Amino acid sequence: MRNLFLVGFVVLSSITYSQNRGNFSIGLESNSQYNLFDKDGVSIDNDNFRSNNYLNLNYGINNFSFGVQLESYAPNAILNYSPSFNKQIGLATAFANFKNKKFNITLGHFYEQFGSGLTLRSWEDRQLGINNALLGANIKFTPNSALEFTGFIARQRYGFEITNSNLIGFNSEINLNSFFKSDNTNVNVGFSYVGRDEEYVSTTPGFKGDSFPNYVYTTSSRLDLSLNNFYANSEYVFKSNDVRVKADGGGVNETTLTDGNAILLTLGYSQKGLGISSTFRRLENMNFYSEREAAGNIFNEQIMNYLPGLTKQHDYSLTNIYVYQAQSGIDFSRGDFRNGIINGSIRDGEIGNQIDIYYKIKKGTLLGGKYGTKIATNFSYWAGLNTNIINEDIGGVYDVSYTTDFLNFKNKYYKDFNIEVRKKWSKKWSSIFSYVNLFYDKNILENKDTKVHANIAVIESTYKIGKGKALRAEIQHLWTKDDQKNWAASTLEFNASTKLSFFATDMYNYGKEQEHFYNFGASYTKGKSRFAINYGKQRGGLLCVGGVCREVSASTGLNFNIITSF
Amino acid sequence: MKKLILFSLFVLSFLFINAQKSFPNITLKNTSGKDVNIIEKSKNNLIVVSFWATWCGPCIQELEAINDDYEDLQDEINFELIAVSIDNSRSISRVKPMVNGKDWDYEILLDTNQELKKALNFSAPPYLLIIKNGKILYTHSGYTPGSEDEVYEKFREFSK
Repeated sequence: MRNLFLVGFVVLSSITYSQNRGNFSIGLESNSQYNLFDKDGVSIDNDNFRSNNYLNLNYGINNFSFGVQLESYAPNAILNYSPSFNKQIGLATAFANFKNKKFNITLGHFYEQFGSGLTLRSWEDRQLGINNALLGANIKFTPNSALEFTGFIARQRYGFEITNSNLIGFNSEINLNSFFKSDNTNVNVGFSYVGRDEEYVSTTPGFKGDSFPNYVYTTSSRLDLSLNNFYANSEYVFKSNDVRVKADGGGVNETTLTDGNAILLTLGYSQKGLGISSTFRRLENMNFYSEREAAGNIFNEQIMNYLPGLTKQHDYSLTNIYVYQAQSGIDFSRGDFRNGIINGSIRDGEIGNQIDIYYKIKKGTLLGGKYGTKIATNFSYWAGLNTNIINEDIGGVYDVSYTTDFLNFKNKYYKDFNIEVRKKWSKKWSSIFSYVNLFYDKNILENKDTKVHANIAVIESTYKIGKGKALRAEIQHLWTKDDQKNWAASTLEFNASTKLSFFATDMYNYGKEQEHFYNFGASYTKGKSRFAINYGKQRGGLLCVGGVCREVSASTGLNFNIITSF
Repeated sequence: MKKLILFSLFVLSFLFINAQKSFPNITLKNTSGKDVNIIEKSKNNLIVVSFWATWCGPCIQELEAINDDYEDLQDEINFELIAVSIDNSRSISRVKPMVNGKDWDYEILLDTNQELKKALNFSAPPYLLIIKNGKILYTHSGYTPGSEDEVYEKFREFSK
């Protein structure tokens, strides 16, 4: 089937090219590593070379476009990627698309998002190894500028295969601006529905399965308002009853069902020189996978929705040691279960808030100086939902019944207050000062026996030498009495021109392990191409992109990346 | 068999290099919720399109640097920049307050599900293009302090 698609693609593009129309584009990305030592400093003898490669071919003519993406993970995928990719080379995605003013129809693999992604999001992130594209048919209908309807029927991509469940989805976006006279008013209403149909075959003798939810769905209702300088976005999600999946591949609890819900509310105000945004979110049992037993897998495979940690994305190495991952789903694994009693946490979700304030102190004032001073502050607080157990006499921990409080913030998981000040001193000099104060419950969040209170300070300065040459330096320090204790870090980056750049960086855990995590390298950029190479010792921990995290193990080696397009 | 097809596809594709010079025809919303099509905006107009995100440090540096010169450039050479944010739903709530808090003068478009980014086939921002009449005249990935001078130079060149 795949081969047919490929051959068809080549034939079609050669026919249409010969008529000298159409637009061909190619994208190539290659990320490779040559690992020398593992996390314990032991020399690695086998499988040193690992490489992830992506080749993207797109062809567009008139209202049609076609594309294929080929991926190669030979000889082995980069460390910590799902081993289902090892040694694989093949067709990852392919699509055919027709688009005109009113219709946008795709057959094949497509990416889609409904609302904020709490019910549905399929996307590609190569660093994280996520590509949960949907394979099927997707139709978007836009009768006028105020209405948009989307419908699809699909299965989800999983490695180079597709999942066994059937997925359907429907979304509508309605813009009500025409009912309001003012030009500064924007009102949008949205509604989505996503359903998953997955058969279940039980091995339990006497299992009746009458109430077993083979079909699980989520709905989302949204209202977005903006009036002059104010705006408010709200979303309410409901997830229908589903079984509880046991941790570590233990199967499912066939009889006890739980539903889920989510509330998202963002309020903001902005005017020239000042911007404020506050987001409140409550998630209860919101994990949703295209196959029920994929729940909780560490590779983020088969996820259906997007549940990012709503915290500030920090820019520096020491501010990325303690990173918050959203605690969105059921986790009964930490409860100590004996004699029918549970001691310990029954976790079902999270609740919290994040506030961002951006302010520019005007130029010409005392603190503003010649160019103005820009300040960004952020505060976030995340807690686990407070659960109250109802039944005491149960067979196993997955049979538990409980209620959750609606607005109880007492089970603190994470807190982060930070401030960043950007100052331009002259045409050549500029600096950034950052301070972070955080609390990270490593016990709850990583199952390690400690809670961390930390303070981090960073100073970064850039000097423009001229003609594209520049020098940038950073010094960082992390103070904590907990966990790994203190760290110090520094970076030096030299841009020899707008194309060539060199860097050297080091993170030193002098407080405890006395270990250096160094890295140095260079990159060359020309037009649409970029080549980069670096060698160093990578710290094990969480690698997070866009709020979604992946565990990476410590390793030492050489990395090189190439990305280009024609 | 699979490998042969893949290889021949790869080879054949190079024969077809009709390097992509057209800007993709995708309509995005700006921060006021209005639809904007960049190709239409570029009709008889030289425009700079810069991709950025609230979490991308170099992107913010680039847009700050150009913002400092923006007023003068607009007067002098009719310089116009559209900043396309690829922030997804996690950080999109920061876009408007950040743009206003930093006092930027650009038109901001929202590429929330990275449709335009995918069509242009680049991996990470910053990514800058100069376009006119839907045709791409210049591209640059990454940002180093001072590389905006090259952008101004190219803009002057294409304005003639």
